[in-house]
Amino acid sequence: MQSQDRYRIALLSAYALALHGFESLIPMPIPWLRAGLSNIIALTTLVLFGFRAAMMVTLTRVMLASLLTGSFLGPSFILSLGGGVSSVAASGLVLRVLPNIFGTVGISLIGAFFHNISQLLIAYLLFIQKIEPVLIIAPFLILLGTVTGFVNGLVAGILVRNLKNSGSKIQNSNK
Amino acid sequence: MNLRKTINSIGLADWLLMAIFVIIPLAGMVFINSIISSGSDVVIEIEGMDKYRYPLSDDRVVNIKSSHGSLNVEIRGRKVRVTEASCANKLCERQGWLDKGAIICLPNRISITVGGPQEPKDRTVDAITG
Repeated sequence: MQSQDRYRIALLSAYALALHGFESLIPMPIPWLRAGLSNIIALTTLVLFGFRAAMMVTLTRVMLASLLTGSFLGPSFILSLGGGVSSVAASGLVLRVLPNIFGTVGISLIGAFFHNISQLLIAYLLFIQKIEPVLIIAPFLILLGTVTGFVNGLVAGILVRNLKNSGSKIQNSNK
Repeated sequence: MNLRKTINSIGLADWLLMAIFVIIPLAGMVFINSIISSGSDVVIEIEGMDKYRYPLSDDRVVNIKSSHGSLNVEIRGRKVRVTEASCANKLCERQGWLDKGAIICLPNRISITVGGPQEPKDRTVDAITG
C-alpha cells in the first residue's frame, strides 16, 4: 500500500466518521434508524479508489465510531460492522461483475439492501431469536433503506463526478 | 451540480432496481401481514386457567361454562362470535364476528382469543376486575 493511499484512506475515513457522527443529530421517527450518510463516502471511495480502499474506510469508520461512542464490541457495534462490511462487499461485487450497468444510485440501493438484510439476520441470530418480529419489521426497514439508499446514491454521484472533474491529481495516483 | 442534471444521470437499470426494491418490501408487508395477524386457532380461557382450543377452520358451536355464567361460541368461515351470553349487557355478542383479536367477557370471566398455533407459556392473568 502506497503512502498516498494511506493518506487518502485516512482522510476519507475521517469524512465518513464525521458524517456518521453528524447523522445522529438528525431526528428520526424510530431511535435506532439511521440515514446511513457515511455510506456516501464508502460508495464514493468504492467507485473512485476500488474495493479495498472502500472496505478499509468502512472498517475504520465503524471501529472509530464505536470507540468514540463507547459501544465497542456491543450490539450496535456488531450490527454496524456486519451491515457496513456486507454492504461494501455487495456493492463491490456488483461493480466488479456488472461494471457499466448501474450508476451510483443502483450500487447504493444494492448496498442499502444488503446492509439491512445482514443487520436483520444478525439481529435475529444473536439478539432476538424470534422470527415474527424480524419478519414484521423487515419490509419497513428495506423500504426505508431504499429511500435513504436512493438519496445517498444521488449525493455520491455528485461527489464522484466533481472529484473526477476537479482532480487529475487524485486520478493519477489511483493504484 | 444542479439537481436536474443529477437526476438525468440515473440510468434505466437504476430505476428498475429502485422499482424492485420498492415492490419487494410492499409485497412482503402484505404477505407477512396476512400470515401473522390472522390466527389459526381459537383459544378460550375460563377464569384465566382452563383452556379450550379449536382450529378456526372447523365450523362448530360450543357452550362454555364458568362458575359465573355461560356463553355460546360459534366458529364459522374462519371467524368466531358469541351467540348467547348469560350476562346482562351482552357486550360480547355485540362485538360480532372476529377473525383476529379477542372477545373478553368479564362478567363470566371468559376470554376468547384468536391466536397462532403456538401459545406463549408464561401468559397469565394478573388480576380481574369488574
